[in-house]
Amino acid sequence: MAGRLAHRLLISLFVLLGVLLVGFLMLQVMPADPAAAIAGAQGTEAEIEAIRRHLGLDKPVMVQFALYLSRVVQGDLGQSIINSASVFEQIIGAAGPTLELMCAAMIWSLPLGLCLGIVAALRRGGMLDRVVMAVSVMGVSIPVFWVGLLLVQFAAKTRAFPIQGRAGPIFTPDGFPHVILPATALGLILLGPVARMTRTTLSEALNADHVRTARAKGAGPVRVVLGHALRTALLPIITLVGLQVGSLMGGAVVTETIFSWPGVGRLAVNAITTGDYPMAQGAILFLATAFILVNVAVDVLSELADPRLRGR
Amino acid sequence: MMSDMSMTEVAAGSAGRTWRRMRANPTMLIAVTVLLAVLLFALIGPMISPYDPYETALRMRLKPPSAAHWLGTDSQGRDLATRLMYGARTTLMLGLAGVTFAALVGGTIGLLAAFYSRLDNPLMRLVDVMLSFPSILFGLSLAAMMGPGLDSLILAIGLSIMPGIARISRGAALSVMAQDYIDGGRVIGLPDRTLMSRYLLANAYAPILTYTTLAFGDAVLLAAALGFLGLGLQPPTAELGSIAAEGRSFLFIAPHVSFAASALIFLIVLPVNMLGDALRDAADRRAS
Repeated sequence: MAGRLAHRLLISLFVLLGVLLVGFLMLQVMPADPAAAIAGAQGTEAEIEAIRRHLGLDKPVMVQFALYLSRVVQGDLGQSIINSASVFEQIIGAAGPTLELMCAAMIWSLPLGLCLGIVAALRRGGMLDRVVMAVSVMGVSIPVFWVGLLLVQFAAKTRAFPIQGRAGPIFTPDGFPHVILPATALGLILLGPVARMTRTTLSEALNADHVRTARAKGAGPVRVVLGHALRTALLPIITLVGLQVGSLMGGAVVTETIFSWPGVGRLAVNAITTGDYPMAQGAILFLATAFILVNVAVDVLSELADPRLRGR
Repeated sequence: MMSDMSMTEVAAGSAGRTWRRMRANPTMLIAVTVLLAVLLFALIGPMISPYDPYETALRMRLKPPSAAHWLGTDSQGRDLATRLMYGARTTLMLGLAGVTFAALVGGTIGLLAAFYSRLDNPLMRLVDVMLSFPSILFGLSLAAMMGPGLDSLILAIGLSIMPGIARISRGAALSVMAQDYIDGGRVIGLPDRTLMSRYLLANAYAPILTYTTLAFGDAVLLAAALGFLGLGLQPPTAELGSIAAEGRSFLFIAPHVSFAASALIFLIVLPVNMLGDALRDAADRRAS
């Protein structure tokens, strides 16, 4: 197991290096002289020269990449061209809200998806199964922004929930109402895939030998499903959730934009549309790194959770 | 949803038998009908519409549906139905270009990996890494590097779908590689290029094609999302995602602009995903 994990970690390290290379390239393609851009319109020749030396722009590309790596490791992602703010600080400030939004989305959609999947697996081929599968295929086919806009319109008509921005941490009375709509829109992305995966793996598990044995030994239906079948089915579901973090991230970028949620996704989109290369680079770097780390964590978790993998 | 592993089995299944089972399925018929209707709307619509999708008429802004404008007008006074026809055409083209690019690159990678076992490991490791990577990150990075537009959009769609196609085509090609006629071709001294195109590709293309078709829904969704974020094709080009974004500013006065564009995207993606589900179910039943 240690060997497999080490192998995975090594691959993740290489991926991280690739991501950093992309981030570096993003700064290379900046159309204007990056040093002049950072110094701004009022920057003097001397200032530009100083920035150029600080960024190592007078050195060969390989050295520049090495310098870039060492700066990133130290948390120096550069400064925004637009407002000279520290990219690192802006991202750290936006990371919390994005994490909040994703957690709020998962907290309702994972259990619900699991339940829907269980129901569908138990009534496979029946009416309920068909309804669940229809909802699931619609869930993965609907553009996230449509769900978001429908919710905005609904909330504006009924004045039930706030539709813009964030008002403090989501566990506070002020902050909570603000997360309801974005979390609803975002969670919908997970609902279909989780329900489908649960249905598939649980139906397989229900036919497995150990479940038949449990039945034969007189275990009740609840115990058979929850204690025996679902336990083996849970592992692929954990893996799926790890993979779905990617589509969740995509959804978060759109949801944050619709609901003006001050997260990393919105930061990235705004940076790209305004040509703020350092900010875009930083935000994308952050999202990619977060994704890699989540998947490493999922790998470790599933290795730990599955006794069959332990011996290898 | 295309990452589900059972997709591999579906795509590897025999197309003819699956098709016969599918025909007996009413959901299938609905899906195909809806898809055909959208295709007609996008391809024939622009030819018969009396309106220009780009000519603005500010006195006609945000009119509700009427006899002259079936779906009303948008914020620039353009006929919304016409905008949607051109938009659907653009979106379909984007999806098509994206999956075609993905199929060419992914198919080549898969075939090479199966044909040259030396290349298998490095190529597939690369593919594995890309397979899990969020498609939105491809979209964001390419838009940041190349600037938002057609090139970055198609590249982003292609790169996000390519890994799945590479896996499928490697699997299909590996099973062909085990056939005697490949050895036969080698024995009579055919060059690798001929073996790959006339023997390998000719016998392994069916699952690649199936998977590529089913990835079309994901391609359209990504194109629409990037268009909505302003990272796709730039206005005034009619594209469904950006039409939905334009309508967002007038959501409370004229919700039909955003909603019609979004609904049209849904009507393109849903039937494709329904077809995918039906294929998967048919393959599941065959397996059991």
